[in-house]
Amino acid sequence: MAEPTADLLFEIGVEEIPAPAVLPALAQLDKLLTDGLAEARLAHGQVRTFGTPRRLTIIVSDVALRQVDLAEEVKGPPAAAAFDADGNPTKAAQGFAAGKGLSVDDLEVRETDRGAYIFAQVTEPGRAALAVLPELLERAIASLTFPKTMRWGSLDFRFARPIRWLLALLGPDVVPVEVARLHSDRVTWGHRFLSDGPIAIAEPSEYLAKLEDAHVIADHRRRLQMIEERAAAAATEAGGRARLDPDLVEEVSFMVEYPTALVGHFDSRYLALPADVIVTVMSGHQRYFAVENPDGSLLPLFIAIRNGDEQGLDTVRKGNERVIEPRLADAEFYLTEDMRTPLPDRLESLQRVTYIEGLGSLYDKTERLEAIVHWLCAQVRQVEEAHQTHAARAARLSKCDLNTNMIGDTKLAKLQGRVGAEYARRSGEPEEVALAIGEQYRPISAADMPPATTPGRLVSLADKIDHVAACFRIGLRPTGSADPHALRRAAQGIVRIILDARWRIDLPEFIMLALGNLPENQNAKAIPEEQAAAQIHEFLLARLEAELDTRGVGYDLARAVLSAPSPDLLDAYDRALALRNIRSSDPEDFERVIMAAERTANICRGPKAELALTLDADALAEEHEVALYEAFEAAGAALESALAGPTPDYEAAWAAPAGMCGAIDTFFEEVMVMAEDEAVRLNRLALLAAIDDLLLRLLDVQQIVIEGEA
Amino acid sequence: MTIQKIFATLDGFWAGQGCLLAEAYEIEVGAGTMAPDTFLRSLGPEPWNVAYVQPCRRPADSRYGENPNRLGRYFQYQVIMKPSPQQFQDLAVASIQQLGLDAHEHDIRFVEDDWESPTLGASGVGWEIWLDGMEICQYTYFQQVGGLQCRPVAVELTYGPERLAMYLQGVEDYRDLQWSDDVSYGELRFEEERQYSHYNLEIADIDMLAKMFEMCEAEARRVNEAGYPLPAYDYVLKCSHLFNLLDARGAISVSERTGMIVRVRNLASAVARTHVARREELGFPLLGEQAEA
Repeated sequence: MAEPTADLLFEIGVEEIPAPAVLPALAQLDKLLTDGLAEARLAHGQVRTFGTPRRLTIIVSDVALRQVDLAEEVKGPPAAAAFDADGNPTKAAQGFAAGKGLSVDDLEVRETDRGAYIFAQVTEPGRAALAVLPELLERAIASLTFPKTMRWGSLDFRFARPIRWLLALLGPDVVPVEVARLHSDRVTWGHRFLSDGPIAIAEPSEYLAKLEDAHVIADHRRRLQMIEERAAAAATEAGGRARLDPDLVEEVSFMVEYPTALVGHFDSRYLALPADVIVTVMSGHQRYFAVENPDGSLLPLFIAIRNGDEQGLDTVRKGNERVIEPRLADAEFYLTEDMRTPLPDRLESLQRVTYIEGLGSLYDKTERLEAIVHWLCAQVRQVEEAHQTHAARAARLSKCDLNTNMIGDTKLAKLQGRVGAEYARRSGEPEEVALAIGEQYRPISAADMPPATTPGRLVSLADKIDHVAACFRIGLRPTGSADPHALRRAAQGIVRIILDARWRIDLPEFIMLALGNLPENQNAKAIPEEQAAAQIHEFLLARLEAELDTRGVGYDLARAVLSAPSPDLLDAYDRALALRNIRSSDPEDFERVIMAAERTANICRGPKAELALTLDADALAEEHEVALYEAFEAAGAALESALAGPTPDYEAAWAAPAGMCGAIDTFFEEVMVMAEDEAVRLNRLALLAAIDDLLLRLLDVQQIVIEGEA
Repeated sequence: MTIQKIFATLDGFWAGQGCLLAEAYEIEVGAGTMAPDTFLRSLGPEPWNVAYVQPCRRPADSRYGENPNRLGRYFQYQVIMKPSPQQFQDLAVASIQQLGLDAHEHDIRFVEDDWESPTLGASGVGWEIWLDGMEICQYTYFQQVGGLQCRPVAVELTYGPERLAMYLQGVEDYRDLQWSDDVSYGELRFEEERQYSHYNLEIADIDMLAKMFEMCEAEARRVNEAGYPLPAYDYVLKCSHLFNLLDARGAISVSERTGMIVRVRNLASAVARTHVARREELGFPLLGEQAEA
């Protein structure tokens, strides 16, 4: 007979919760309840979550009405202590039995590895789900975490926003929950204006439909789809195509409970503004979607998503048009004012803008960027003359948009670089220069692409290494999750650009150059240059390690590759990917080589660190040590030729140590490394050290974790 | 609905909710939050429910009266309730509907907008209230004021009466707003905007303002240390306004800016502590029966 079950419905009613907080909270709620029910021994079916600005909801289907009984065996004291010589129970046995609610007769004696012990069979009968769930739900609410929480009223309780009601039902029954001085009930609330009063929910299955009657589409997936469809239809009707930025669609879907699209107009004279500016004015504060022609150019239209139905839609449209107008007028005013001074003429004024306290002005920074760009061009070699000229010019003008009116508006500040690009164009700069200015901050996120043009890459690299160097130099390295100067993002950008461009850049020199360019500073927190350089090196390698992780290079292999000294990031990257391929194509062979090499490393690294080991090839006498030496010489030559030239062939390089493997194994079987004669012993260690050094050209074998190894 | 009718309607509504109707503070402030009826009264355990109109000065927003949407001196209608009541959000909506806005015909929404005032050492969690996409109110649960945690939490509702009135009256320029049935906003205040804009942006004596800032800062500290936080706070407000004037005159560099903000914040925090200590000495008189309960 199937156990009786019922659906569980739990809704947390809140004052409008920030859009980005809803999905992560739902994911947590799902996990908290799934884990909680498992721990509470309550079987259940499907788990679904729903979120709107005013509610976080979870519905668990078919929750067992009663916990599974718990039967467990508890071990007590040793039999010797539990019974006296006459076989009568002692106090210890009586106490143990009483503690489990049993009599001494219920105890069993059983032999274990450690002798005879007494055992009790304890059964805990399952409790009703209705008795277990209140605490489970209360704990779930208290366990939810948010990027930012608050207090309200006289409570010490914290949540993302004030909680206003709790709906908790198991089938037809209210699950009594108390949180933040609120008691759960069977009542929910519909749309703030399109619904009247509280709505009683008889049982979970009617929740979604009753809310829909009350103008709330509780399922966020459906709201998202409605927004896409309605916005697209509205745009088509207006003769254009909606630009449905997925992030914006998702954000808007968590700002409304009942989406209705409307098309608004703005004066077409504003189309003279840079398109980025128009789109940002519309999407940034107002969360409007842009409407474009088939060629991608903008139409003087926007799509707003209203929280409600069609009633009064015309009034709402006019209201929204009134809001966007002054915002576009502000941008137009900025553009007119800004254009009075061509972009290059703004350079001098950067002398009055501090970059970072103690590290000079933005003007000083642009001079440093130019110097770094020139150095990079020399390093990378294949950079065309024209690219170099454009990159240097872009570096010089890169910060000129920062003191424009446009970027001075906090809502448009994120267009830094892109506004500079547009102004550079309008000031008659070459297109390549404009593009590079526009790309200097890219990639701005993990989802963004690195710059596509060579001048853009050069300026972006220069900007990022200068920023990282400046911050580390004055002790502003990120700690824990706090990274106020976005240094991780900058470092990640450096790694991604270098890998994307496939440039060989001597990393220690690059770092020292950036540090050396910085002005002398008296900052109290400043750290010595060498120390900063070491920290930056380590920091960049950590970003490369993260990048390798996304390419399926195991953490141990990544660490092994990065522990072997590397001239540049691209080299380490290529080496890691080649070794990843070798490892995955024949794991057994890879492990065989690693184990031989690891044995070598384990025995020679200690002496290598302490003694000056010099290999005397002529002194090698035993057959198998001579054989190993010959294998080593062949492997060395093979490795050298594989790594020579501008594009090292790591797969071929790996064949070299692989070829030595048999000789190493035989050597360890047949030859006594720790020979009595000191000269012989040291010479053998020197041979092993030479082999270890050869392998360190590829990886540090000691970092590799082989399954089954301790 | 005229501006004065908006004020009268909101007064009636909030008085009906148990709010004390207070008058504006007479020293220049940049926002209703800075008036002592909000800044000082939101500190400490005493309950406090108040509503008032506060003229606000933002010298950098001066536009010689010519910009239809921006003013160097404008008004805020300010409501504070401490502790924040459970149904406050419904009250906020009801007050807006009292102004003759039918919620079915409009799109009224609460859009995340947390608030922070670096000069006051204050921050809160809250929303803008949108009317058809336009921000008409700011709704904030104070978490920290003057560097002190708010326990209990005060909730603040700030209306922008000019914006609301422009919407209600269907005009595009503040000058065309009817203050009363007979007098327009422009007739009443255009000349004032014009003169003050010239003063704020061109005429104000930078050296004098800078000296006054130093003097007011010293006076605030001295008076606060002497145990008189209320007059001390007046000088904190003067510092804040002098800073805003210097800023409007373009006399503050980026690096000086942060330093001056920190100086005002330190003063505000010191006064906040002294004020709470003084209220405690007095036995938190407004706690009334609650104190004994």
